[in-house]
Formats: sequence, structure tokens, C-alpha cells
Amino acid sequence: MTPPVIETERLLLRALGEQDFAPLAAFYASDRAKFVGGPMDSESTWRMLATEIGHWALRGYGRFGVEEKATGATVGLVGPWNPEGWPEPEIGWDLMNGFEGKGYATEAGRAALAYSYNTLGWPTAISLVADGNYGSAAVALRLGARQDGTYTHVRWGPMTVYRHPGPEDL
Amino acid sequence: MTAPMIETERLRLRPPVAADLEAYLTFIMSDRATHVGREKSRFSGWKCFAAEAGHWMLHGYGPWAVTMKGSDATVGQVGVWHPEQFPERELGWLVWEEAEGQGIAHEAATAARDYDYRVHGTQTLVSYIAKDNARSIRLAERLGAQLDPDAAPLDPGGLVYRHPGPEAVQ
Repeated sequence: MTPPVIETERLLLRALGEQDFAPLAAFYASDRAKFVGGPMDSESTWRMLATEIGHWALRGYGRFGVEEKATGATVGLVGPWNPEGWPEPEIGWDLMNGFEGKGYATEAGRAALAYSYNTLGWPTAISLVADGNYGSAAVALRLGARQDGTYTHVRWGPMTVYRHPGPEDL
Repeated sequence: MTAPMIETERLRLRPPVAADLEAYLTFIMSDRATHVGREKSRFSGWKCFAAEAGHWMLHGYGPWAVTMKGSDATVGQVGVWHPEQFPERELGWLVWEEAEGQGIAHEAATAARDYDYRVHGTQTLVSYIAKDNARSIRLAERLGAQLDPDAAPLDPGGLVYRHPGPEAVQ
């Protein structure tokens, strides 16, 4: 399965590749990654990148590398995500270091949600936000999602389930 | 890219697919995986399995699913593996318990090594083996590999077996 390219006003959502490794390694090595399984060393990040790409092969969908159109920089890792044991399919977003505060996670998250509804045919979508990750919770709220219970992740601990507006509400 | 198909006398090496997951998890979560990094949960095992598919996309080579001709069920995995921070490109093999003792890993590893030399022009390959993994050490020796005490190990105390080069096996 080759990921499509989705264009938004300022961003391209496209297949992940080797060029995303350095920005991902910088993000996952930093304290900012503490809510999404980090901090981790570059070997673990490489495996994680391979896992994200393999998710497409196993599920037929997965997260995209998000590229800033103006510069070509990798600004995020956003899209549908449903690994083994997940409570239900979710829309996930990780914003790379230095690209916070521009609304990029919201812009890419909105495009990923539309893709999941319109192309993948999802009837509903959630996003899991680790307790204390206020930046991510704010993105979920901006996308119109509302709290819908809790989930305890096997490694990341307690998380809040945010449920997005359904396909008919977008 | 995804894995090409290779046939040997008794085996077919093909791309790993989602249907191979359960057999992989049975192996990787069992005592038999002690020497190669046993996984404790289906979640972490799934991530490793997905990373193998992603390895093909990132490097253009990786692990094949090994099946017996006439059946699509896997009996193991074999292939060339070089994640970040592996000192060198590795020829690796896994065989499920019920398929042991039939020379399957030897036949599959020979084919994978030949393929890597011929198609990718690789000049040297190693296998990283835990020092108490007697079965894998015997297989490395039957493949003509020799202990290389000067090569960097993967883990402290681990062994590095170096395979005969392309001119010696073709």
C-alpha cells in the first residue's frame, strides 16, 4: 500500500521515509516526547519509524510524514493509527521540535480525520491523550473532539479518550 | 519496496504479510526467543513485526517470511537486517519450533545470502549470535561463517560470525 499525498493550505501529508529519521530522532530524544513513549535513543526511533511504515503494510493505512510546503521541513507525524491491542482506531499527532504554535497539528489532524472518514470509511475516530499533555488535548478540542472516557496504556499509563465529531458532522 | 519472491528446492521466501502475525507472536513471546530479544506483550511484538515490513521500505531489503512450498503458512523468517546502530549488515534467521531440525534455516539463509550478494552487491555479511545460542552457532558454522573476534558485537559479550564473501560462495 503506497500512501497517498494529501495537500492542505500549508502542509503536505505524504509517505514517511529515511528523510524523516533525523527530525524524528531529535523529537523523540527530547523531553517533549515524554507523553508519546519517549525520550528514546536513536536506535529505538529508527525502529519506531520502521514500525510506522510497516503499519501501512499491515493495515493498509498509517501515519503520514507532514511536510511544510514552504520549506520541505518535516514538521510532524500525523494520521490514522491502530496497532495491536489499541482500544479502537485513532488519529495521532506528534509535532516535531521547533514547529509548535503554528496550528500545524490541527491542520494536519483535520486532513487526517477527513481521510479516515472519506477514504477509509471509518464510522468514528478517537485520539488518545496522555494525562498532562495539555498541548495535545488543546489540538483535540480544536478539532471538535470531546472527552469520552479513559484508557490505560500498557506502557504510557493513564490517557484520556477524545472522540471526534463523526463523518456526518464534518 | 516490498520483498521479492525467492524459491529454493523446498522453500518459498515471500514478503511478510498481516496473516503471518500470530505465528510470529507465538515465537517472539516464547522462551525460544530468549536469544533474539523476547517480547513481553502482543503490542511490543506487533511493533517488531511491523518494523520488519518497514525495514524493506527504508532499506530496500529485510526479512522474508519463509514457507514450505505447497503451504502459505510460515515456518520462520530469514533475511538481511540493518537497523540503526547495528554495526554491520546482518544475515539473521528465526525458525518456529515445529519446523526445527529439517535444515530449513540453512536452506533459507543460503538463498538470502546469495540474493544479497548478487542483487545488492554486498561484500560481507555477519550474524550476531548470543554466546549460549548453540543451535545458531552450529548453523552459522554450517553456512561457512567464522567467529570474527575483531568485529564489533551487537551486545557486550555477544559473538560475531562473519560469512564467506561473494566470491567464495558463488
